Amino acid sequence: MLILAILAVPVSMTVVAATFSWRAWVGWVSAGSCALILGLGIALGVATSSGPQWALHHSLRADSLSAFMVVVIGAVSLLATLFTPRTMRQELSGGIISARYARHYVVLMQAFIVCMLGAVVTANLGVFWVCIEATTIATTFLVSHRRTDGAFEASWKYVILCSVGIALAFLGTVLVYFAERHVPATAHGSSLDWTTLTALAPHFDPNVTRVAFALVVVGYGTKVGLVPMHSWLPDAHGQAPAPVSALMSGVLLSVAFYGLLRFRAVAVAALGPTFPRALLLVVGMASLLLATVMLIAQRDLKRMLAYSSIEHMGLLAVAAAVGSPLALAAVLLHILGHGITKAVLFLSAGEIAHLEGTTEIAQISGLLARRPALAGIFGVGLLSLIALPPFSLFVSELTMARAEVDAGLWWAVAASLLCVSVIFAAVGRHARQMLFGGAVADAPPSATDRSLVLPLVGALVVCGALGIVSWPLQSLLVHAAHGVMP
Amino acid sequence: MTSTYVATLELAAGAVLLSAVMTLWRRSVSSIVAMLRLQGVALCAVAVDLALHENDRALLVTGALVLVVKGVVVPTVLRRVAKWDPRSRESRPLVNVPASLVFAAGLIVLSYVVGTRITSLSPDDATRLAPLGLATVLVGYFMLVTRRRAVSKIVGLIVVDNGIALVTFLLTSGVPLIVELGSSLDVMLVVVVLQFLMASVRHHSRIDALTELRELRD
Amino acid sequence: MTGWVYAGSATLIQVVTVGLGGPLLVGLMAKVKARAEGRVGAPVVQPLRDLRKLATKERLHARHASPVLALAPVVIVASTTVAVAISPLVSTRPLLGSSADILAVVYLLLTGSAAAALGGLDVGTAFGGMGASRAMTIGALAEPALLVAVIALSLPSHSSNLPRIMASTLAHPDWVLGPSRLLALAALVIVVIAETGRIPVDNPSTHLELTMVHEAMTLEYAGSELALVTWGESMRVGLLFSLVANLFVPWGISTHATVLSVVVAVASLAAKTMLVALGVALIEVRSAKLRLFRLPELLAGGFVLSVLAVVTGLVTR
Repeated sequence: MLILAILAVPVSMTVVAATFSWRAWVGWVSAGSCALILGLGIALGVATSSGPQWALHHSLRADSLSAFMVVVIGAVSLLATLFTPRTMRQELSGGIISARYARHYVVLMQAFIVCMLGAVVTANLGVFWVCIEATTIATTFLVSHRRTDGAFEASWKYVILCSVGIALAFLGTVLVYFAERHVPATAHGSSLDWTTLTALAPHFDPNVTRVAFALVVVGYGTKVGLVPMHSWLPDAHGQAPAPVSALMSGVLLSVAFYGLLRFRAVAVAALGPTFPRALLLVVGMASLLLATVMLIAQRDLKRMLAYSSIEHMGLLAVAAAVGSPLALAAVLLHILGHGITKAVLFLSAGEIAHLEGTTEIAQISGLLARRPALAGIFGVGLLSLIALPPFSLFVSELTMARAEVDAGLWWAVAASLLCVSVIFAAVGRHARQMLFGGAVADAPPSATDRSLVLPLVGALVVCGALGIVSWPLQSLLVHAAHGVMP
Repeated sequence: MTSTYVATLELAAGAVLLSAVMTLWRRSVSSIVAMLRLQGVALCAVAVDLALHENDRALLVTGALVLVVKGVVVPTVLRRVAKWDPRSRESRPLVNVPASLVFAAGLIVLSYVVGTRITSLSPDDATRLAPLGLATVLVGYFMLVTRRRAVSKIVGLIVVDNGIALVTFLLTSGVPLIVELGSSLDVMLVVVVLQFLMASVRHHSRIDALTELRELRD
Repeated sequence: MTGWVYAGSATLIQVVTVGLGGPLLVGLMAKVKARAEGRVGAPVVQPLRDLRKLATKERLHARHASPVLALAPVVIVASTTVAVAISPLVSTRPLLGSSADILAVVYLLLTGSAAAALGGLDVGTAFGGMGASRAMTIGALAEPALLVAVIALSLPSHSSNLPRIMASTLAHPDWVLGPSRLLALAALVIVVIAETGRIPVDNPSTHLELTMVHEAMTLEYAGSELALVTWGESMRVGLLFSLVANLFVPWGISTHATVLSVVVAVASLAAKTMLVALGVALIEVRSAKLRLFRLPELLAGGFVLSVLAVVTGLVTR
């Protein structure tokens, strides 16, 4: 029942948004529905602690991992939708869009959330694939929402690259199915359920599974933003409206990563740990290196945040390569911490871009003196992003490093620590330029809207609190991590 | 009867790959679109042939759909879209035509090497041909990466999609669920990508505005 | 007829057929092109008449010519004649048919090309050198496609011996329509067009400096030597066309020693090669000559086709 409710809430919200033309109340109601999803997700987490839940003739299945992902989606989309009325007001009054597109925007946002929720609660990896594909469709139009040249270019790159990625993932899915069909035990017919697959995986043909897993890693890796096909990410995140960037960077990447975690379990059961580990290590380290290089000389605020997403996804892939329960629990905590932090940063960066009229780092300076509240939030968010204590990203990165050391991957720890420290310095330099740099004008500091400050500060407090005490999540994380052990 | 089935299957699968290579070879949009049309028809022949062999009515319907979507709708829409493009030829691909053809030959050999390891699991008449589908995917991917124009990129995407459809038909003999999934991929391609392209064409009134844009870079 | 007599007479008939038929094929193609362009055109036997006229004319050598210039025409005609003699054109059992490996035939023909290029280079004029270098470039580009297509052809019968390939095709008629065969055929057609210097690779009737390839090499020849070079060239056309025809549609070729079968074989060979010539002429009418820089594209295409042929051959058998 809980699972159905989780899907029903955003679906009915989509219908509402499609029925009524844009008013501020539609935005507030959609934020309310996201809060409801968050609550239901927490309830689901409690319910699944005793075992997985099923719905709709076993076509939907939620274990602790699904529940955790629902919580992440709920939290980040609550933050993002709280900003919908604000963003729409700015864009409508600025003449950037017409009222018709405001309605499109809300509908697409809700549809996007539905697809992500569907992806994490489905039992079937075919349906998972369809949901990921549907997120591509919804977000393509969200990225081109502003209809500028840059927005069109970004969403063109996005749709082309992600279509290829999705197609490759489909090929991988077909191969997994092919491998399953030729397991002798399943002469009576086979299904694409995660549970069946994981159970049958030890009998899979290793050659087929190897190719399938490689295709899946490259295919879903496109949506995650991992290296061979990452180049859409900075463009799309830079051009989309701030709440969309927040949602894409905060959860869409992680939802695709969730798929990789599930597939990894199947692949490890079929092939043993070596091949999946090697593959994930390669793409993870490559993403990390690329992000490091690109962050050093970054000139654009939103692209800086986007490359930092690639960095964090790289860290996740490296930790997932280790695959111990500790590493997987750390991966999940990192997903939550990164989601919330990145949402806060994109939303405040969107506000900065609106007020300053530019996203070029070099043209923004002395922010802390002129807009103390906004700049304070942004600065603290950056501290969280570069994983300083007490924020939860610090805890999860430390735990990931520990798990990697336990697995004997010293060189990976050393290399990722090096990258993280370089990124620390690079982001710090950019932050100093924006927050403190330049000549400070004598104009009195301008106040910032309370409706903007409260949610963001609340989110940062949650991040900080999670870093200090993770007890509410502890059992959920452990359960969820065991869900994707082969 | 069986030998006609095998012969038709081999011929049609070969035609899918051949038309993929031809899209790399030819420059003018009209002949590239004609190749796509041929590819759609060949793909339909694969589906119908399998359907007749296995007495699978659902697959027969799929074959008809493939013919309508990939043999008629996609090429026609593409031709209409291409009319917006002032240049009718791929003037400066990132890799020139001879080099890309040689590269394609390498990709074909690669997919043979990889593909036979997959198909050795159950070497029946249909499965054995799967390497041809893999090669089509790789050739399409290569086209997507190395061609600059929007229309060429979409052609690459469609070739990738057709190759995947071929592999799917050959490996799973058209299992309903999988085929439905695959057709949703086509819907995405046709509806979203082409729709998107049309929208941006209306916005810029030129198709290559998209590919000439160089605003976003580091 | 005993075996030796049969083999010997078949060889003789082959040489005579191709020797006379080659120039006729060239004339036929010219006629078809002329008709397609709305002209009446020269009669089909015109190339033979030209040869007869040239043979009686005096030969002239440039002052700095070396013996190579005089030797080249002989080598061209000799190597082509040997290739014609051993190839299974009229009969599957000509003299030395066991050594009619497809590679042997190819390299006999290449010997002729090399001799033609040397002859072109010998006097040291600009055109001769240019034509020779271009012809060698085209030959080098066509060679990979040719070799891989040969592999594709020899896959089903596990042999590169021409008579054996034809015999196994006769035994398995369903191979002809297999994708591997068709692709190899397409690749071979491209190679043959390049090797015989037809449009779109080379224009045999041009004398425009910038576009000449083969004609540039023969500029220094006159009289009977020119007749030899031209005759060798048209024999080469005849041989390549009949090989393509026989490799893909071998029916009609004589397999046993009766007079009737040999007569049928000659007639069917003539019909098949005329069809090939017709096809090539139509290609020539429909296409424009490619710029030299675009040639690698065409020949790389032929190469991919032959790779495709090999891979489909491996996959389907």
